[in-house]
Amino acid sequence: MAAQARMRSARVLVVHLGALGTEITKNLVLSGIGSLCIIDDKVVSTQDLETQFFVGKEEVGIKRLAAAAPRIQDMNPRVNLDFVAEDFRNKPDSYFQQFDLIVATDLDSFEITKINNISRKFSLPLFVAGLNGLSGYIFVDLIQFDATDDKLKSSMPTSVGQVSERRDVLTVLDHYNEEQNKTYEQIVTRNIYVPFEKMVREGTLKGKLTKRQLKRLTNAVPLTLALLYGTEGSKHVTSEILKEKAKKMCVQLGLLPENLQQRYIDQFSEQAGLEFAPVAAILGGAVAQDVINILGKKQSPLNNFVVLDGISLDMHIFEL
Amino acid sequence: MIGSNTEKLLGTENHRKLRDSRVLLVGAGGIGCELLKNLVLMGFGEIHVVDLDTIDLSNLNRQFLFRQRDIKQSKATTAVKAIEHVSNSKLVAHQANIMDVDNFPLRWFDQFAIIFNALDNLEARRYVNQMTQFLHKPLLESGTAGFDGYIQPIIPGFTECFDCTTKETPKTFPVCTIRSTPSQLIHCIVWAKNFLFPQLFAPSGSTTTEEDLGTNNAEEIKRIQQETNEFHELQEYAKAGDETKISDIIEKIFVHDIEKLLKIEELWKIREKPTPFYNVVVGESLNPNLNVVWSIQEEANAFAHATRKLMRRMVVEKQIEFDKDDTDTMEFVSTAANIRAHVFNLPRKSLFDIKQIAGNIIPAIATTNAVIAGLSALASLRVLNLIKSKSEIKPLELNMAFTAKASNISSNRYLSNPQLAPPNPRCPVCSIIRGVVHIPSSALKTTKLSDLIESMRDKFLYPGDISLLDKSTQRLLADYDFEDLLEKTLAEINIKYGTILSISDERCDEEELRSTLDLYIDNGGDSSNFELPDVEVPLYKALKAENDEEEEEVEENVVQQASTTGEIIVDQEEKSKKRQLDDAWEPATKMPKIDDDSGVILLD
Repeated sequence: MAAQARMRSARVLVVHLGALGTEITKNLVLSGIGSLCIIDDKVVSTQDLETQFFVGKEEVGIKRLAAAAPRIQDMNPRVNLDFVAEDFRNKPDSYFQQFDLIVATDLDSFEITKINNISRKFSLPLFVAGLNGLSGYIFVDLIQFDATDDKLKSSMPTSVGQVSERRDVLTVLDHYNEEQNKTYEQIVTRNIYVPFEKMVREGTLKGKLTKRQLKRLTNAVPLTLALLYGTEGSKHVTSEILKEKAKKMCVQLGLLPENLQQRYIDQFSEQAGLEFAPVAAILGGAVAQDVINILGKKQSPLNNFVVLDGISLDMHIFEL
Repeated sequence: MIGSNTEKLLGTENHRKLRDSRVLLVGAGGIGCELLKNLVLMGFGEIHVVDLDTIDLSNLNRQFLFRQRDIKQSKATTAVKAIEHVSNSKLVAHQANIMDVDNFPLRWFDQFAIIFNALDNLEARRYVNQMTQFLHKPLLESGTAGFDGYIQPIIPGFTECFDCTTKETPKTFPVCTIRSTPSQLIHCIVWAKNFLFPQLFAPSGSTTTEEDLGTNNAEEIKRIQQETNEFHELQEYAKAGDETKISDIIEKIFVHDIEKLLKIEELWKIREKPTPFYNVVVGESLNPNLNVVWSIQEEANAFAHATRKLMRRMVVEKQIEFDKDDTDTMEFVSTAANIRAHVFNLPRKSLFDIKQIAGNIIPAIATTNAVIAGLSALASLRVLNLIKSKSEIKPLELNMAFTAKASNISSNRYLSNPQLAPPNPRCPVCSIIRGVVHIPSSALKTTKLSDLIESMRDKFLYPGDISLLDKSTQRLLADYDFEDLLEKTLAEINIKYGTILSISDERCDEEELRSTLDLYIDNGGDSSNFELPDVEVPLYKALKAENDEEEEEVEENVVQQASTTGEIIVDQEEKSKKRQLDDAWEPATKMPKIDDDSGVILLD
């Protein structure tokens, strides 16, 4: 099958082997991806033992990649693995050109912007994911991507044309499935993406969500974006500073700043950048599935921002 | 641990509670491996893992704790070993059936703060659900089918239980059913598609069979392993494109392998024996009509025909994957399944019908399992009240979650997360009053059934007209016109530890009836006699007019037959199913519907 052949020939780069990098690596290696390169220069810490399973108790203090490599390879000997124990920021732009797709984890907003500039320069699909304790996010930039979906034809046939600001139905082809005696629509949808910088500075939900949806939206969304808004090392933000940033973000998004709850603000300022295994498992699963989908050109990809609220389990997809 | 992330997240006090918690994980398969990893990393103090199964080659593409070298080993034990290098928890593996009351009596379940279900079958899910209802123990239920998945926290008494809504849980089949003892055509189709086809036409080591070995019979396991090896030989034929070997292939899979199976007498004690497909002479005539069931000779001809075409393609293509729209592969699978069905005396179907079934076999998806196991672990924190700065959570404020985007339910929600619903007042499981009867083993031999019933009448105010059912075996023990067992002792009528008795008020002319009570028979009690639980069994208003009609209808569906010991077997399954279907109460249909009409099968 063409989809599987594409999977087997794909070359994917994973930036950082933290909690998310570990989950994504596990899922991609299991799926039988052709080759995977992991770049990470950190050493195993005791905290890593709470969120990662390719490193072990005996390996605290040695390079994460050195500790993890044998366990990753052991999982699927047929995947070509490449381990680069360096800081990805020291690599020249041209280094990234050899990959078909980049998955970057645990980055601050400057690093995201940097890698996004590179991915755009070489027209590479980019997935970025990060954790903030009980919450986490996924940002996707595929630049432009035509997705093919099969959908059971309903009484409301899909029509060609714009579905949303960033999605356009190009063609709809009916095909009849004789065994099921049902008609399916093969829908080709063009997805347009925006760079990270533009999303964080200009992204809004105005006109995209109903009033009710805006009102019920979890605080995790403006707070996640506030953490991503142009601060270096977003990991330490006082509650007061975060509150001010989140208020501005609410205005930009079209949300009511007074809906911000102190409890959520405190949670996010305390938990910014903290890794937690189950949250990594959920987001890592979602990222890997989307990577597999787009390599196989099956199913519409995420477009373009996902936030998980780990308490309420809200996990919306926003076109920002 | 100093500087622990989890401690920062949950707060010192909650983190300590987590470290002191003992939890149970039922199932170490697709979801179970992922969940075990999450629970270990979170740092639960003690984690017990129960799984009866052993590891099969087909598990390796998603059950990430298992390797090729672990094949045939216990899933529970291997999973625990594979995560120990990072574990800070006490891990206990049990290679056993969770429904085995000798290993796991009710009180054993009581030691856990929460129970995680990561199961692949309805029966065990229901069983664990029932145990948690007896103990008022929180349960985290989960399941996946392809890209669809869900988690559901269950707080007995406060929220919907597993049986409150009719779940369209996909069917799963253990390996032994597929490989040794098929009892339906679907088993033969799965065998042909997921075992035989890849063995012949896919490169070795990449078979896509998806089943778990579901047998303890060492002889049978050995046979399955040996058979696997022998197929490498067949694959060599297929690769070489030697068409003269086609009759050898037929001989091997439909005669020799069946003869070998017949030698394992254990298998055929309670089953009809298969008949090897002897003396097949392959002819040329093919039946062009795909909508009718072919004669067995036509099946054999078509099987040879399809095999020949696939062999020729192998020379060029090197490997072929099954695709229901690839005529050659579909014809191969359909004819192989039908010939196997013939061998096992099972009804056959047309190629057209088989195509539909084969196309609906859903593979398990690793990423769905990962997401669902992550949600299950995460949701447990709220159930156990371990979230920092959150005031005591009310059960109905908890959320369940299921896949939305991947299930094509929504384009802007990755998950749907409705709050939990209250219990269904007419749920056949959780609307029932429950309790535990403690009884020393000596008293099992001396207590007469009539003693027990009389005590129940006294204590719970049941009338004279009752029925008593053994739910574990679906036996009627006593009612108004069946009194044969009353003077026998509990031991004599095989009431033992783990038996669940169900007593119902059977009066038909009263406006108010005593509720049904389920009693779990357990060891214990200080006295020499049994101790009934201190529960109150309320009255409820009988819905007379409607009930009469319903009862009549139910009656027809209840199979009653006298067994040799004078017991009456009641097919309760049928009864409860009927009730649910006829029920006017509409369950909140929140789950993504897994289309069941055409026989969706999940293989995990």
